[in-house]
Amino acid sequence: MAALSAVVSAKLACTAATSSLSWKGGRTTTATARRGLVSFRSPRFRVFCAAKAETVGKVMQIVQKQLALGDDVKLAPESKFTELGADSLDTVEIVMALEEEFKITVEEDNAQSITTIQEAADLIDKLAAGS
Amino acid sequence: MHHRLLLRRRGAMPLPSPPQPAPRTPGVAGGRLFASLPSPPPLQSRREVHVWYLCPDELNDHSQLDMYKELLSPSERKNALAMNGPRLQKDAMLSRALLRTTLSRYTDAKIDPRSFEFKKNKFGKPEILWQSDGSSMEWPLHFNISHTSSLIACGIAMDTLIGIDVEEKKRKTVKNILSLARRYFTPSEVDYLAKISDSDAQQKEFIKLWTLKEAYVKALGRGFSGAPFNRFSNQLETNNRIQISKAAKVCNDSDSGCDYLSENWRFALAGLNSSYYMAVCIEDNSRGSENGSVPLGLKVWKTIPFIEDTLVSGTDAVKLIT
Repeated sequence: MAALSAVVSAKLACTAATSSLSWKGGRTTTATARRGLVSFRSPRFRVFCAAKAETVGKVMQIVQKQLALGDDVKLAPESKFTELGADSLDTVEIVMALEEEFKITVEEDNAQSITTIQEAADLIDKLAAGS
Repeated sequence: MHHRLLLRRRGAMPLPSPPQPAPRTPGVAGGRLFASLPSPPPLQSRREVHVWYLCPDELNDHSQLDMYKELLSPSERKNALAMNGPRLQKDAMLSRALLRTTLSRYTDAKIDPRSFEFKKNKFGKPEILWQSDGSSMEWPLHFNISHTSSLIACGIAMDTLIGIDVEEKKRKTVKNILSLARRYFTPSEVDYLAKISDSDAQQKEFIKLWTLKEAYVKALGRGFSGAPFNRFSNQLETNNRIQISKAAKVCNDSDSGCDYLSENWRFALAGLNSSYYMAVCIEDNSRGSENGSVPLGLKVWKTIPFIEDTLVSGTDAVKLIT
């Protein structure tokens, strides 16, 4: 009984978290929504779903620090680094900070393909899960 | 949307009032707006690079900014508005206005800044898209743009790949210099930086190396992963030539990514306005010439498009390091 309610409350927490993320139906966000539903029955569900939102939050923190963004700047998962004013040196510093924070190594071609906060979080979760 | 090559304006365009008492070249009083961009001395050879830059913080006159905004294509305007906040939006807009006005200068005033269209190469590097219907002439112009928060520069070369990078000398990195270098630079570059005990001097050398490497990667046009920084070394030699060479342990396989690493690249590194380092890189395929024997010719102008152009190379504002 306790286990069931834990899973239910996790799903609610996850739904709440995902619904607070604004999105425009991009490929990655659809996958996130799909994962949330599919994983409902999985015992690993809670950790997996929470990691996504938590990862995004941490990426946002790192980006905010690197770009010295004020609290008035609203970050969204689909925020593009370049639109936040990051140049190439900022981007490599962000990648390095992500590597240190999440204990991963990001290859150059992967680094080049992450242009938004969500993409960075997706890559991190993929690399962290694989290790 | 097809832009007309010629712009006809009726009546005088109100001139923005000059912020300083010094006399300025008049902008335009009737006639074609783009005709007020004076033609610069032509690019003499493939080894010559012209750089035009502007300082966004100095451009605050609304009618001037509206004039520049008007030069952009709808998608450029949309992209500029996607930037976060008015300052970044203004910089993005000015960057495109700078590009378009600069290119127009090198077409004998035959092409209106509004008329240029652009495409991306397969790696995403922007290039001019010339109309293939024979309606307009073509010029073998190559360009590259670099931004810092306080300066936007546009480099122009004829018939050759070009990359440019400008960085504030005092740019502070969040990460420690040597850890950045260890992660991204080659071992020989790390050694070079590690030997510099003064942290300010070390930071400056890091920025110099960074701009050189960025300029090369941008000239190549394959993106950051097309020429990973830790696969090639840049070195300022004692005779002030800049060398680029493959890093010691690098692609021995037939990785086509490495074929382009060659000694056929020329660099120029300069201090700009005592606040910036500017690196320029062009491809030089001339056979039989010793690498670096003929230096890259560099001319630099500070511009307020349609208002004032000032040649700054040859003055203290541009101090060649190479």
